Amino acid sequence: MYGGSGIQSKRDLEIEYQAQIPILRPSIHARRANMTVKFQDLYGFTVEGNVDDVNVLNEVREKVRQQGRVWWALESSKGANWYLDAHVSSTLKSSLKFSALTNAITLKRLIRKGIPPNLRPKVWFTLSGAAKKKSTVPDSYYNDLTSAVEDKVTSATKQIDHDLPRTFPGHPWLDTPEGHAALRRVLVGYSFRDSDVGYCQGLNYVAALLLLVMKTEEEAFWMLAVLLENVLVNDCYTNNLSGCHVEQRVFKDLLTKKCPRIAAHLESLEFDVSLVCTEWFLCLFSKSLPSETTLRVWDVLFYEGAQVLFNVALAIFKMNESQLLTTHHVGDVINVIQRSTHHLFDPDELLTVAFDKIGLMTTTNISKQRKKQEPAVMAELDQRIRRLNSVNEREK
Amino acid sequence: MGCSSSVPDRNTGRAGGINPENGGVNDPKNLRVKVNIMDSGVGKSCIVLRFVRGQFDPTSKVTVGASFLSQTIALQDSTTVKFEIWDTAGQERYAALAPLYYRGAAVAVVVYDITSPESFSKAQYWVKELQKHGSPDIVMALVGNKADLQEKREVPVQDGIDYAERNGMFFIETSAKTADNINQLFEHSALSPSLYVNVALNYVDSHHTELIISEMVGCRSPFMLLLL
Repeated sequence: MYGGSGIQSKRDLEIEYQAQIPILRPSIHARRANMTVKFQDLYGFTVEGNVDDVNVLNEVREKVRQQGRVWWALESSKGANWYLDAHVSSTLKSSLKFSALTNAITLKRLIRKGIPPNLRPKVWFTLSGAAKKKSTVPDSYYNDLTSAVEDKVTSATKQIDHDLPRTFPGHPWLDTPEGHAALRRVLVGYSFRDSDVGYCQGLNYVAALLLLVMKTEEEAFWMLAVLLENVLVNDCYTNNLSGCHVEQRVFKDLLTKKCPRIAAHLESLEFDVSLVCTEWFLCLFSKSLPSETTLRVWDVLFYEGAQVLFNVALAIFKMNESQLLTTHHVGDVINVIQRSTHHLFDPDELLTVAFDKIGLMTTTNISKQRKKQEPAVMAELDQRIRRLNSVNEREK
Repeated sequence: MGCSSSVPDRNTGRAGGINPENGGVNDPKNLRVKVNIMDSGVGKSCIVLRFVRGQFDPTSKVTVGASFLSQTIALQDSTTVKFEIWDTAGQERYAALAPLYYRGAAVAVVVYDITSPESFSKAQYWVKELQKHGSPDIVMALVGNKADLQEKREVPVQDGIDYAERNGMFFIETSAKTADNINQLFEHSALSPSLYVNVALNYVDSHHTELIISEMVGCRSPFMLLLL
């Protein structure tokens, strides 16, 4: 079971990071040739980039350090859990005291600027509601769950076993027997907690990244639970992905509204944005964006909610507007988008567009849009099931 | 090797483009073909990576939604064919996304794992789905992958041949691991829409006709390639 060995692995992981990730200094040859170099990022992922990318990553590292100092200063002046008070008060706006209000505003702004990696586990766990969720069940819940289901075999566990080595292959911790075992327990445990979800491909990446951030399996598990049960829309990962289909439709409407020229151009190419967005919404960008950029998106996601994903997806299109408008077919569009996402090493570049250049999208409005799309999605999925059945019938 | 691999991507900023859905040939230099593949874990991504990068990577990443790759090959008549490959998620619940990728496809290659009878029936399911809902002009091929695992074979070659013949499909067994028949598969895929390609070639009379091929995966074990 998870215990001493897990803690050991956490320590190993940290040591490994410190040992392997000093300031990156591309070799003189790489600089001269402007060639592609491979290096490890803050979370141990191997990334390929040119010398400019390396420089951007070094700048990001410095910004992360500065943010760390800001957070620590706030902790010492306002108390260790000041953000928790700010968060609670923000739900009771009418009874806000001035200090609580300023705390709430400070917190939102701070979170959009990024939570320092070493504070992430604590801040996420508290602000997302994971801590509260965990507190409603006995302390032994996770250990009991994982030991109870350890030897069970279901279609979900088979798929999980198949996918473990194919989740971030080559990562110095995730792609080790220990990493696989930890990820397996989280995913298998969750597949039994919610059998409607079971296991959906995509969750492997999400859970893996949660493990890397939270450092303990149990906290990663609760983050996954709060994410699927409270943060994201319902049924994103259930057997017909209906929630995800709803989000795709809402996103298409938003793109038409917020980026009409891009939307019109893509339509003329018969490019369906789901071709790129499905992965974004199911992996929460973990498979597309560099790790620190993804985690900056998650910082805001866990605090502000699922509509953040729309901001970020819209920002990716908007940042590439001029290039997208020159594309002539589907493949070009994908290439533009992929080149852009893979090189978004500077999280602020993306988040500035996402939150300052997209214009206001209220939660109420987004909820309304979701409600509006639900019937159409259900009808479409129903129709598909009937179609499949008719194929099977004829077979008989 | 029947084709030169790793020709660099030359597909940027090309004007016009054929729109196969309309059957229009606006730009003779740019004939577009889509390849879609469906599968989970039978080696679909491996086939694609073998074809595009010339490598066998048993630990390719789990595909979510779809991922995209491209490759240009030169055919024997020295025309070049550009494949745009959609490699899509294999899990059953992603099946509803399939039409997104096979919409309008002209050629489909459905792939199964010769060591898995389950994947063979899944492949047959995709053939039926495509016959019913793909483009009426769709040309299909059937591929049995993992042909290097002879000792674990559970689907006889003859079963594949018979099924393909009954459904008017091209049949080939491949191994992404040893690279057997991989290039042949893609070459044949590029040539398959014979009518369409011939029309286009005659029309262009050019050595730079490009077939742009997209690929997708959709289902649990079969493996499907669609060309359009």
